[in-house]
Amino acid sequence: MFLIKKIFLFFKRELNLFYNNIADLFSNILFFFLSIFIFVFALGAEEQLLRSIGLGIIWSLLLLSSTLSLRKFYEDDFNNGVIKIIHMSGISYELFVFLKILSHFFFVQIPFLISIPIACIFFNLPINEVYNLMITFIIGSLILSCLGSISASMNLLNKTNFSIGSIIVLLFSIPVIIFSVGINNSEDSFRSLINLLIGITLIFLGVSPWSSAAFIKLALRNK
Amino acid sequence: MFNFLINPNQFNKFVDIIFKPLVIIALITLSAGLMLVYLSPLDYQQGLTVKIMYIHVPSAWLALITYAIMTIYSIVGLAFKISFSFIINKAIAPIGAVFTILCLLSGSMWGKPMWGTWWVWDARLTSVAILLIIYLLIIFLNQTFENREVREKTIAIFILIGSVNLPIIKFSVDWWNTLHQPASVSKLSSPSIDISMLQPLLTMTLAFSMIGLIIAILRIKAEILLRKKYL
Amino acid sequence: MLLINNLSFSRNDNIIFQNLNLSLSDRSITQIRGKNGSGKTTLLQVILNFLECKTGEIFWEGKNIKKNIFSFYNQTTFIMDHNTCTRKMTILDNINFWSGLSSSKLTKNEILLLLETFNIQKYQNTKTMYLSAGEIKKLELLRLVLEQKKLWILDEPYNHLDDLSIQILNQTFIDHINKDGIVLFTSHLNPSISNLEVVEL
Repeated sequence: MFLIKKIFLFFKRELNLFYNNIADLFSNILFFFLSIFIFVFALGAEEQLLRSIGLGIIWSLLLLSSTLSLRKFYEDDFNNGVIKIIHMSGISYELFVFLKILSHFFFVQIPFLISIPIACIFFNLPINEVYNLMITFIIGSLILSCLGSISASMNLLNKTNFSIGSIIVLLFSIPVIIFSVGINNSEDSFRSLINLLIGITLIFLGVSPWSSAAFIKLALRNK
Repeated sequence: MFNFLINPNQFNKFVDIIFKPLVIIALITLSAGLMLVYLSPLDYQQGLTVKIMYIHVPSAWLALITYAIMTIYSIVGLAFKISFSFIINKAIAPIGAVFTILCLLSGSMWGKPMWGTWWVWDARLTSVAILLIIYLLIIFLNQTFENREVREKTIAIFILIGSVNLPIIKFSVDWWNTLHQPASVSKLSSPSIDISMLQPLLTMTLAFSMIGLIIAILRIKAEILLRKKYL
Repeated sequence: MLLINNLSFSRNDNIIFQNLNLSLSDRSITQIRGKNGSGKTTLLQVILNFLECKTGEIFWEGKNIKKNIFSFYNQTTFIMDHNTCTRKMTILDNINFWSGLSSSKLTKNEILLLLETFNIQKYQNTKTMYLSAGEIKKLELLRLVLEQKKLWILDEPYNHLDDLSIQILNQTFIDHINKDGIVLFTSHLNPSISNLEVVEL
């Protein structure tokens, strides 16, 4: 009973921080739109070309702009010791990581959804592709949150300022990109690809709390 | 008997015995292989460019074998806490990277006259390029973390995750319809390559693996000396 | 009571402390004194199991803390030497978060009264990033009263505090000891508390 209350409290605090950091979210969305504009300027505004490559561009830019906010995933809580206090109140590191992934999903990735239909308008995408993009983004962004948690917890240990975490996120997101863009190419395999994506999500939801918690423990030990 | 594979002291003793013969064998096989390559027949379609194969194929095989060795050692190191396996992981990752680069470079040199392009986004080529990225990431990861144990375990786990790529590389020519030709040597019943081409190919493979082994031995010995304090 | 038995810790093959024995009985206040870099903070981190000790055992109420870590944490308040409050949240939000985490039974009026004694009541709705270092430290020390735990472990509690606040803090320590509590803190100063046990490191 106390645990549920504490989890509720944790989300309340995350919501509070989300309100206070809302400028971060808007700057991420701005980055996303500006990079779309740059792509269009670089390729030329040919309608047929933009329609054929729009989906891939939107997905890869979503990926890049979601790696922007990864640096803050654990760093603040780790530096001021909130992780220790939360752990001392009876929440294990694994549960903490899991809650943090969920809050990143709800407060960073889901608000990104509002920008997707607008981006699709810029590329003149047909409406069914927009629906598919929304569905795959909801599933795929959960995978990105898990990957981001792993890379951010690795960065806690990494004293040299090297962006290896972001590189690893990009490397492991290759299958996500392949499957989620592939949904639009062949209509009949829609169900199977969605199932594959959900399967990958479940694997990462299982693996990432364990590995991130191990990294956080080692980082606390190293500090 | 095979203790030298997991024990640094035994490894040093064993290597001191076999190192000089190994160098001699490597020199002999390399010169014999080059000789055989020189004498080998030209392809009736590809002409002289077929001789790129004698560098391309051995380096591709060795890139995969190096990664497989690293995977096995990661499993052993994580499961039985043998720190020697992490030494090997650190020592042979650059060798694998060099073989992969050699494979990609010779492949694109071969591809330009044959396919008319340096690079295609074909399943085999892309997966090998990802293998190169994984090798480079392993080399970079070796320089990031300050804590040695954390670094070694992280790299071992990363190698295990990256080993998903190995079967993808191996079977990519069978699973997808690709420009790259399917396997011709490793068909179990009857290799679809002529014996006059198979002989130099196998000799070159032996020479390449000998050279790789010599460099690996030198690097492992240097790494053992560096870590003498912990072992 | 807290019993520390034959504790030693080393970092990168440098021995920080060795064969340390310490026993904190109920109603006792202990100071760990030492030079800079003598391992005061490290000792506290080892006691709280954030760092792995090389040899030795720690017992809380007769039980090894490694096996019962959450029952040990459940009776411990740890004040770090840096600020634990979230900089972008107001004082009241921070306090609500802490009291919820420790499921404290203090009512809102009592909390306001506490804020008034430390003279930071007028800032209750400002974000903590606008407070001075001393005010943040006072806010941090409020957790002692808020969480109502038996064992208090503090790392450099006197940093940034003015004379009046130091007196209030010492009085709080004495009140806590009289209520069967245990206090363990590190400092390089010589505070004027009666019955103070000092461990030199």
